[in-house]
Amino acid sequence: MTGTSPLYEVRGVGKRYGGIVALDSVDFALNAGEVVGLVGDNGAGKSTLVKVLSGAHEPDSGEIYLDGERRVWKSPHDALDAGVETLYQDSGIAPDLTVAANVFLGREILRQGFLGKLGFLDEKAMRDQAHSELERVGIAVPASDRPVARLSGGQRQAVAIGRAVAWANKVIILDEPTNHLGARQAGEVLEVIRQARAKGFGVIFISHTLPHVLEVTDRIVVLRLGRVVTDAPSSQFTPDSLLKAITGLSQT
Amino acid sequence: MEMQGKLARLKAAGMRQDIVLLLLFCLMVLAFSLVNPRFFSIRAMANILQDFSPVVLMAIGQTFVIASRGIDLSVGSVLGLAGVSMALVIRAANEAGMDPWLAIALGLAVAIGVGVVVGLVNGLLITYCRLVPFVATLATMGAAAGLSLVLTGGTQIAGAPKEVILLGNATYLGALTVPVIVVFLIIVVSWAFMSRARFGRWTYAVGSNPFAARGAGIDVESHLIKLYLLSGVLAALAGAFVYFRLGSGSPLSGRGGELNAIAATVIGGVSLLGGTGKLSGVVIGALITTAVLSGLILIGVQPNWQQIVVAALIAIAVGAQGLGAKGGR
Repeated sequence: MTGTSPLYEVRGVGKRYGGIVALDSVDFALNAGEVVGLVGDNGAGKSTLVKVLSGAHEPDSGEIYLDGERRVWKSPHDALDAGVETLYQDSGIAPDLTVAANVFLGREILRQGFLGKLGFLDEKAMRDQAHSELERVGIAVPASDRPVARLSGGQRQAVAIGRAVAWANKVIILDEPTNHLGARQAGEVLEVIRQARAKGFGVIFISHTLPHVLEVTDRIVVLRLGRVVTDAPSSQFTPDSLLKAITGLSQT
Repeated sequence: MEMQGKLARLKAAGMRQDIVLLLLFCLMVLAFSLVNPRFFSIRAMANILQDFSPVVLMAIGQTFVIASRGIDLSVGSVLGLAGVSMALVIRAANEAGMDPWLAIALGLAVAIGVGVVVGLVNGLLITYCRLVPFVATLATMGAAAGLSLVLTGGTQIAGAPKEVILLGNATYLGALTVPVIVVFLIIVVSWAFMSRARFGRWTYAVGSNPFAARGAGIDVESHLIKLYLLSGVLAALAGAFVYFRLGSGSPLSGRGGELNAIAATVIGGVSLLGGTGKLSGVVIGALITTAVLSGLILIGVQPNWQQIVVAALIAIAVGAQGLGAKGGR
């Protein structure tokens, strides 16, 4: 890591869709071993910022830095290769594939030799490693040869997060990871996030569930109408003041 | 209690779907044979295998495409267009005194070229022009069928050297022609790539959840283009095999072929919703579809009824899938 520069940073990012300004000169920084909450009302620009951070959309203006180095993401693939892993809301998983196939999706282990060159899969290695990878990141592993569609909503989400944490080597972006989860399952997800922080990852946590945000994050960035309106340590917020920052009612 | 027992049985039956299908096929052969003993002969089997070849080739392509949550309606027209293009090229080459085997090779290359072009157009319309697969392939279905009529003036194209008929009809081991043997090889290879290789895995992933596939770094667009290319090439090969069998190319051959291919696919248990489906089931689905078609003729049903029966089969198969899905969830 170079000096004191943040692990992952965007400066002056702007993005328009037609006449609509989705992001207007946004600065955002994330340090290693830090969980930053990204909150805002619908239409505040959260999902656009996530798309820029994950490499899905190129910003119209502004710069992206990873480890202090200027980066340009042409596709999510570039960001993945650089160690920035994203779990999108409700879409991180292919329900018809098995747990192991999902964990290794896009990074399949191929067989040795000629068959491997043709793209033939080493299913056993993937089953075994999926199991141990999920266990390593602290997720109770359902049978890894079962289709994800047969799992409960909580288990599905656990697999999706486990996949992101297992593959990330710098930054993990989690978009609404506790959506639709019961209290106990959400608690497990938050625990996985804490473990990821302890291992030195930078985690961006996007959520509408403010108690979860306050519980797990170190710092909270509030977006409103495409701009950053607040960026402060989580300890400075109460549920009430955070809500006011999001809606903007405290300033009127 | 009773519900759970039913669910468990439904699930068990679903898991052994290919076995259920195989039993169904055997029952059909038995029933047709009882009505007309000629159905149960090497000669009739050889015929069924020849009818089966184009159906299963189109059904294989269709399986890959449908598993990716798409559909390819153009396969029947591609079969026809590839057949007449090949017939025209081989007739011209033959008249110019070209070596017949060289002419056949040239014709085959042209046929496959037709499949590549139509498949590529389908893929590009779907990925870059963002047309839904149904509309994109409906358009190329019409265009390819029209082009066949334009090229031929609506007439059958004969003038093939005798080697063509030889290649398409000489049998080995009683029932196997060269095209049938090639079809078996294609079945094995595509089954392997569908169920054991990354190509199939990505196909299911794209059909199951395109967003997750993209998020995992899969180039969804280029994968889809490959799938429609594959479907186009297999349909074109089907056209070449039909031409080898008949020794002529008709602009009408392949008409309604998409119906047979889709019937084989859905009977084989592939869900039109994408993400699932096994090629082993589809191969038996193609056998069933072909046997129904041949069997109807052998028991004296007018050929004009074929399309109606196939259409009914599609409706029944998809309906049964819907019931199965409700029970399984």
